[in-house]
Amino acid sequence: MDPLVPTREIYWNIPAFGVVIMYLLAAASVAVFGHGVYQHFRMWRRGQPVDRLTPIWPRLRSVLLHVAAHGRLLAERVPGIYHLALFWGFAFLLVGTMVVFVQADLRLPIMRGSFYLYFQSLALDLMGAAATAGVAAAMVMRYVFKSPRLRRGILSDGVILWFLGAILLTGFLVEGLRIAGTRDPWGPWSPVGYQISVLSGVVEMSSTAIRGSHAVLWWVHFVLSMVFVAYIPRSKLFHLLLAPVNVYLRPLSDVGSPRLVDFEKVERFGAFAFSELTWKDLFDLDVCTECGRCTAACPANTTGKLLSPMEVVLDLRDEMARTGGVSGPVLAGGVVQAEALWGCTTCLACMEACPVFIEHVPKIVEMRRYLAMEEAVVPDLMGEALRSLEARGHPFRGAGIARTAWTAGIDVKSLPRGEAAEWLLWVGCAAALNERNHSTLRALVRVLHAAGVDLAILGDEETCTGDPARAMGNEYLFQTLARQTIETLDRYAVKKIVTACPHCYNTFKHTYPQMGGRYEVWHHAQLLAHLVETGRIAPTEPMDSIVAFHDPCYLGRHNGEYAAPRRVLRAIPGVRAVEMSRCRENGFCCGAGGGLYWSEDRTGQRINHARTDQAVASGAQIVATACPFCMLMIEDGVAARETVVRPLDVAELLDRSIGGSR
Amino acid sequence: MDVVVCLKQVVDPELPVRDFAVDPGTQRQVREGRPLVISTYDENALEVALQLKDASGAKVKVLTLGPAAAVSEAIRLALAMGADEAIVVDDPRAPELSGAEKACTLAAAIRRIGSADLILTGCESADWAERVVAPLLAEDLGAACVTFVSRVEAGDGAPVVRRLVEDGYHLVEVRLPAVLSVTSDESNRPRLPKVKDIMAAKRKPVQTWSPADLTRSSARDPGAGVEVRGVVVPERTSRCEFLTGEPAEQVTALAQRLRDQKLL
Repeated sequence: MDPLVPTREIYWNIPAFGVVIMYLLAAASVAVFGHGVYQHFRMWRRGQPVDRLTPIWPRLRSVLLHVAAHGRLLAERVPGIYHLALFWGFAFLLVGTMVVFVQADLRLPIMRGSFYLYFQSLALDLMGAAATAGVAAAMVMRYVFKSPRLRRGILSDGVILWFLGAILLTGFLVEGLRIAGTRDPWGPWSPVGYQISVLSGVVEMSSTAIRGSHAVLWWVHFVLSMVFVAYIPRSKLFHLLLAPVNVYLRPLSDVGSPRLVDFEKVERFGAFAFSELTWKDLFDLDVCTECGRCTAACPANTTGKLLSPMEVVLDLRDEMARTGGVSGPVLAGGVVQAEALWGCTTCLACMEACPVFIEHVPKIVEMRRYLAMEEAVVPDLMGEALRSLEARGHPFRGAGIARTAWTAGIDVKSLPRGEAAEWLLWVGCAAALNERNHSTLRALVRVLHAAGVDLAILGDEETCTGDPARAMGNEYLFQTLARQTIETLDRYAVKKIVTACPHCYNTFKHTYPQMGGRYEVWHHAQLLAHLVETGRIAPTEPMDSIVAFHDPCYLGRHNGEYAAPRRVLRAIPGVRAVEMSRCRENGFCCGAGGGLYWSEDRTGQRINHARTDQAVASGAQIVATACPFCMLMIEDGVAARETVVRPLDVAELLDRSIGGSR
Repeated sequence: MDVVVCLKQVVDPELPVRDFAVDPGTQRQVREGRPLVISTYDENALEVALQLKDASGAKVKVLTLGPAAAVSEAIRLALAMGADEAIVVDDPRAPELSGAEKACTLAAAIRRIGSADLILTGCESADWAERVVAPLLAEDLGAACVTFVSRVEAGDGAPVVRRLVEDGYHLVEVRLPAVLSVTSDESNRPRLPKVKDIMAAKRKPVQTWSPADLTRSSARDPGAGVEVRGVVVPERTSRCEFLTGEPAEQVTALAQRLRDQKLL
């Protein structure tokens, strides 16, 4: 070794036969690791096919953003930062180990010179320190602050953290003792190790003691690392490998929607067994890190319902591990309780919160499908809604009013009357058949007419798009209704649709194209924003109100549209916009999604009451929204809470500001 | 046990008021273009029959009287819910018949079916609510009759039926054959069909009979006795009146009006 070229001796103090044992142990560890991965791989392969490998570039970009840069993890600042330290710390240490491998085994002399000093010594030491700090912070979070969302795996997490801590600590000690033992002239480039070597001098360790303790710690460090590797696929550490892959595999559009069922091909409907979920669904289960962010975000769980999205995933995961994914009890209503499945509003708060992009909602709906189509057992009110959909083409039993009742006093073109128009205004049952929403519809038509938009309605020929049936798991009824709607739309050669209902919007946009129904579809908030920004509507009358926008889940999280309704509000003079504690990506469901408009919501607090409390706390005088279901739920919440907060649709607000309502 | 459930198809009782109309010629509700559904209590009757099928393997036939072209939806739903077979007595005049006339034709059809231990009907139809079909059927068939039944328990011996009364119920043992009219209750909420059964329903047997093929009992003239003279849609009007004058005068006038209406 040239003493002027910085490097260090590898396997100092380790005899040749020790190196042989080391290789044998490493091989054993990798074999055990590989066996563990294969066991899981076999289970994932039992799932149904789904294409998630392409397109490559947007997927890689998302890996950069959410793995390398910890995009979603940083949504919770403190845990995000310490996980970042842990992640990059260990990533650097892994690269450092690779460098040693290249130098020692491939005999390529790369571990030298300034690369050795800056990377292999300085950077690795600092990153090791960062990882140590991360481990300490993770322990403090669990055992000192007792973070409520980290309820699960509190013991196994401890084992993992002590493991990581011990590997880091022994690593530093081995390094320090080597620096001391070899009187390494480049020692100060490894600041932590160097301090340990200084310490060994202070306590006056003899060179025999240094050699002896170094040998012991070197073996402890090595064996711990190898056990750690073997343990990875057998614990939540598996996410080290799987999470980046799962981020790559994330859904790029139509997030959170269940698969379209081909009734010609399927033998059994919904998820009875693991093989009836997709391979991605099964892969998801093994990615979970038990961080609890999903459950903490879940509107059902936070209001005291049985549903916990994390427990759904973990119950399925544990059952898959127990049975090898082969058979076992029925998933829907067995492994996961029916009450939990029926508690989901399909709002996607869980999926948006998940740092590793697990898809909870499609699994829940797939299990509902089993209950709804195979067992035909659904909660009573949902059953009545389904029967009404079947008999009347709308889910509102007892509505007793005509679909066109809202048009009283205003002039709207009608396609069935033979009038043609550029746009179809798709009204939606929730708006047409609930009187509260009639003023929204009238306001919308007034504003669109004022902007010169040429529109017509389908009147009595409009029937439900099928969204509620789909959310309740009755895909068969959904497809019946969808085919009927597509047939009607095609009969009138409809090209452009604007709708006041985010549920209808979502169905038109994502599901109908899979069934051959392709239309240009806009949500009314998007069209209103466009009209305001292109100067076709000029809101002039000041509103002078504090307004908070409640994000409908099927406009926001399901379709990523947070901006358009806020742009409309911003255009209205005098509106002072505030946000509720939970808004945008983290918005809180009104409680009606997933077909839960037809539920009694008797357990715990009502979701719409909780949302109303959040609205009141924001200091808003008006809660603006853009969904007929949200409107009904918030109206109900406001009435129950006897508050002065008023819910209004963005169309109603805009209408007032152009002087339309008088 | 052989169970026959009589199903009537009616215009959806939840029809928007706007769409409710009476045909002045027949004095019956206009059906054209209106959604048709199984009459509400008839669905409960079908559910009671299907519970007997689940519990003791009863064979369930549904029997309907109506224009064959119009009743296919109702039949399809009943078969999907779990009925074994269906018989349609194809009579285009059915919507205009009185309850007594219908009971006479249904009894003839049940005699032709041959084996019927229990005959279930809704306690009243969602449109005319005459409540006569079950007792007249029983008389015509010489069967026992229990009305307002919510549940039937078939054991080894005679079935025990639960008859709902105000503030409680009677438990009645019936001898077969029997005609039961069924009312609704938590226990007989009509089930949702399973998707597989919806698909299988298309292959279940449906027989169509003509009223001419049936032998009505000659003892009675079912048409006699009742004639519908006229049917009108009740009109609801609201009136808005503005009281004039000074506030004090307005208050006095308002109070007077409320007293006139006996609201004060």
